[in-house]
Amino acid sequence: MTATSTASTTRVSAPGTLFSTLSVPIAIVALLVVGAIVSPSFLTVSNLVNVLNANAAVGLVALGMTFVAVCGGLADLSVPANVAMGALVTLGAQSFAGPFAAAGLGLLVATIGGVVNGLLIGYLRINPIIATLGTGAVLLGLSQQLIGGGIVYGEPSPLADFVKGSMLEIPVMVWIFAIAALILTPVLSRTAFGRWNLAVGGNYQAAEASAVPVRFTKAGAFVLTGLLSGLCGVLLALSNGQARPIIGTGYEFVAITAVVIGGTSLFGGSGSVLRTVGGVIITALIGNLIILGGLPTQATGLVTGAIVVIAVGIDVYFRRKGGRE
Amino acid sequence: MTEAHHIALRMTNISKSFPGVKALQDVELEVRAGEVHAIVGENGAGKSTLMKILAGFYQPDEGEIEVDGVRVGHWNPREARDRGIGMIYQELNLVPDLTVAENISLGGMPRRGPFVDHRAVTQRAKDVLGELQADIDPASRLGNLSISQQQLVEIAKVMADKPSIVVFDEPTSSLGEKETRVLFDVIDRMRRAGIAVIYISHRLQEVMEIGDRVTVLRDGRHIETRDVAGVTPDHMVRLMVGRDLNEMFPKLDLEPGERVLAVRGISREGQFADVTLDVRAHEIVGLAGLVGSGRTEVARAIFGLDPIDAGEIELRGEVIRVRNARKGRSAGIALVPEDRKGQGIIPGLSVRENFTLPVIQRIAQGVVIFARRERAIVRSLVDRLKVNPPQIERPLNAFSGGNQQKVVLGKWLLAKPDLLILDEPTRGVDVGAKADIHEIIGEFARDGGGVLMISSELPELLAVCDRIFVLHEGLLVDEIARADATEEGVMRAATGQVAA
Amino acid sequence: MRQLDLRTAGRAAVRYRLLVLLVLVAIFGSITIGDFFSVDTLQSVLNRATVVGFLALGLTPVLIAGQIDLSIGSILSMAGITTIALQPVIGNIPAALAGLGVGVLIGAINAAIVVIFKISSLVATLATLLIFASLALLLTDSQPVSSPDPIFGIPLTGDLLAVFTPRSAMFVAAAILMFIWLRFTPSGRNLYAVGSNAAAAKSAGIRSNAYIVTTFLISGLFAGAAGVLQSLSTATGSPVAGAVMLIPAITAVVIGGTRLEGGRGSSLATLGGVVALGALTMMFEFNGVPAYTQAIYTGVLLIVLITLDRLVSDDGRPTSRTLRRARVEPPTPRGIQEEA
Repeated sequence: MTATSTASTTRVSAPGTLFSTLSVPIAIVALLVVGAIVSPSFLTVSNLVNVLNANAAVGLVALGMTFVAVCGGLADLSVPANVAMGALVTLGAQSFAGPFAAAGLGLLVATIGGVVNGLLIGYLRINPIIATLGTGAVLLGLSQQLIGGGIVYGEPSPLADFVKGSMLEIPVMVWIFAIAALILTPVLSRTAFGRWNLAVGGNYQAAEASAVPVRFTKAGAFVLTGLLSGLCGVLLALSNGQARPIIGTGYEFVAITAVVIGGTSLFGGSGSVLRTVGGVIITALIGNLIILGGLPTQATGLVTGAIVVIAVGIDVYFRRKGGRE
Repeated sequence: MTEAHHIALRMTNISKSFPGVKALQDVELEVRAGEVHAIVGENGAGKSTLMKILAGFYQPDEGEIEVDGVRVGHWNPREARDRGIGMIYQELNLVPDLTVAENISLGGMPRRGPFVDHRAVTQRAKDVLGELQADIDPASRLGNLSISQQQLVEIAKVMADKPSIVVFDEPTSSLGEKETRVLFDVIDRMRRAGIAVIYISHRLQEVMEIGDRVTVLRDGRHIETRDVAGVTPDHMVRLMVGRDLNEMFPKLDLEPGERVLAVRGISREGQFADVTLDVRAHEIVGLAGLVGSGRTEVARAIFGLDPIDAGEIELRGEVIRVRNARKGRSAGIALVPEDRKGQGIIPGLSVRENFTLPVIQRIAQGVVIFARRERAIVRSLVDRLKVNPPQIERPLNAFSGGNQQKVVLGKWLLAKPDLLILDEPTRGVDVGAKADIHEIIGEFARDGGGVLMISSELPELLAVCDRIFVLHEGLLVDEIARADATEEGVMRAATGQVAA
Repeated sequence: MRQLDLRTAGRAAVRYRLLVLLVLVAIFGSITIGDFFSVDTLQSVLNRATVVGFLALGLTPVLIAGQIDLSIGSILSMAGITTIALQPVIGNIPAALAGLGVGVLIGAINAAIVVIFKISSLVATLATLLIFASLALLLTDSQPVSSPDPIFGIPLTGDLLAVFTPRSAMFVAAAILMFIWLRFTPSGRNLYAVGSNAAAAKSAGIRSNAYIVTTFLISGLFAGAAGVLQSLSTATGSPVAGAVMLIPAITAVVIGGTRLEGGRGSSLATLGGVVALGALTMMFEFNGVPAYTQAIYTGVLLIVLITLDRLVSDDGRPTSRTLRRARVEPPTPRGIQEEA
């Protein structure tokens, strides 16, 4: 799983750069055009808003996963567990803590999951894939134990109504995703923490020797992903009014797919949050097109997987072509 | 060497282009059996490209290769090896997870039926290691050996194929003086056995010592081939750079100021013990020693990358406790590490991003990095350090070694340290960039900083340093003032011939 | 010195972790379950470990080569539904072979993406994981396929010899064959070189790509075998059968000590990891521990093992390239004793 010959993280000149800067917007426009042809109901405000709304929660996870990928942390596979924790605690604690405190508690628990990941990966330097597989299994098990393996129902509350509602015609979930993206984009590109992530992912030892707090940085990326997974769980629980431990199953792969389609290398050293937002929109539109085009929903994985191969393949091709000295 | 020579290798009119670059243009090379043929040239002169063509990694656009008088056509690394060409690179080409014996037979393990014939593999390793007089157990895991032992295994691996031509590409850059001596003995034996040895090095002293003939390349062209006996290092440098370098190592004379660094009795188990030294303002202090003497470890400990077990470190009169690089930086120390690729540069990040890394928090001030401010800071430094080309948004891995080293040095100047520790600052750097780097170091000392400099190249240390401390097996054995310093004196201390 | 002893003890514990784990499971097992050491129990442990075992075994060479294959679960599902769906059409044995063929085919697709398109195996097999999981659902319309001949697969899990059932015997035999390949043949040794230092392998004339292709074909074949065996034994081809198998498979390999970064691993160690995990699961079930609690213990076990491995193998001192043998005693003046 080393980046032996494949994912070179070089940013290079002319065709490669042009391709990688424009590919995401072009793909989105192309999807919109194709969609408009396929179905008259596609290019309507209500449809597009719905698409965004349905993908905002998992989009939050993808934002966090961007940091994990950029800092060389490969991927956080404990996402489903943290989503479940956030969701189950939010609903389970409502009866005694009230809706607001319960949601806060849900966020906190998921963040603690992220902290554990951060300690294992950042400070003990355990392979992220193994570490998050392990913590994922433990946390998911704990969450099931918490509710005895069944399902939790929420009570109606002003918080739940707010999450399900809209502001200025745009659903609150979409607002939350947009705000998170607006905050996190400059965090990666224009703060010391962001620069540290890029440096740690680019060359761990050199970053350490350059007085970068390498352990903190790597841990921070996983804590952030834990927090955002928790937020995803909280929002899903509140808007659905119920939650099961399997609520976040597959979200890790959806998030990774969005990151990769956006053009961030899983081996670190480059990437941007805005690209991931693009990746989230692309995956969301594909899913929607499949439904509107009359294909069975099960085809989503097939199409997304194929697009990952094609997108990364073209990217690698241009990087290699431009990367030759 | 005037009688009729057997020509082991002849490369004629070799040209090779890469997109946008003409790497080689009509290059000639003729190597005789039983000679050590040195190739010198600045970085980018085409030495590596030429050798990669010889080894079958690249195909030349034009030109011919003859090995033992037989013309070879299009070939690949495996064919090159089968035709008796052995390559020993600067970076070791070994597998840490296999045994020494398996490494030596890698790619062509003797079999018995479908299985590896382990006895034959071991015997082969024993034979060739014995020939090299290397005391290494063929059964030990390669990753557990020291770097110089690994280098011997690398040589053994090449020798096991009974090559007729052996190429050494910068073999001594990770070796100290003692290991270099062992290597030279080996090369000398190869020469006497009639092997054609091609030796590439930046260290002209070594070329003078081991080489029979030398070929100079510049900008992808063949400049001259002649007997080493008839040239001086100065002459070689002139041919390499195409201009006169007034002095290879210019030295500013400065009056030492107050004490910047005082290290008292620091120890770190298994690495060094009871090291006491000091550095003053305006002063460049050398730290000499063989590889493994603890030089790098002392430097890392002072900077805070590794904790010390005993002793104290005082900076500008205050005792500091450094536990990591961040603490070291805050205390006013900077370290330019020896392993540039591994610890110096972030290859994918731009020159700008590399430059500001140690001080990014300061540049970000509140929260956000102001791009214009950052660019302005970096631009001025790029000019001052003569980073070429001065494109600050290009990724650093697109630059030559010398320019990368300038960036590594520059990023620490930006942190405005009181003490600059340099570990092999000019290793693998071409002559022009080397002079620039010495100038930068000199300016830093002139402006009131203290410098602690490690180098395996003794002439460099002698020329640049005001005082030299010498380490031997983790102990400080000598302190030599500039006036008294000679290569022999430093070597005597470094090889343990001076009592501590 | 005390610290040193602890470290040595820790090293030993990690080196023999499989043994330690198996002994612990045996002790607790025999305390809590009356007939833990009966042939029946052991047979059952091995038999049930077979499916995850084949996945883990197939993953081992891929990891040694420094790659990863996340798609093995999807391959299992695809092979399973292929086998069952084709049973009425082409007969039992050809259908099983077709299942294996599907595994090898997907392995070949993985290999092609990694070697030809130069996409890292993590991303490539993530994509094929999605693609073939999705395809399995599409082909079956998300419904499990039932076998028209449920009797055929039953002997696979019947009694063969001592602790073996036919399918667990296949698993153990495969592990031993793979061990011989990896340990004693030139191509096996070369595989370690490919995973440990690809550049060195290349310069020694080893064609890394051929090895990488081979490992993906093997993992495809083995995941296919897991799918065929599982579907035949249960007489059902489920499109989601493999989805939950990836994590136990990786856990088993890691417990065995194969390194995810390449260059180190052994199929016998994987066999040990699979058996240890299987025995642990069995013990939990005998004691009525719910599945989700088992997941907690397994996860904790994985984390503890890997943490221990980290703590003792890395002696906490970041090594510089020149950090070598200098063994320094407390300051004593030294002369010229050693060769200069």
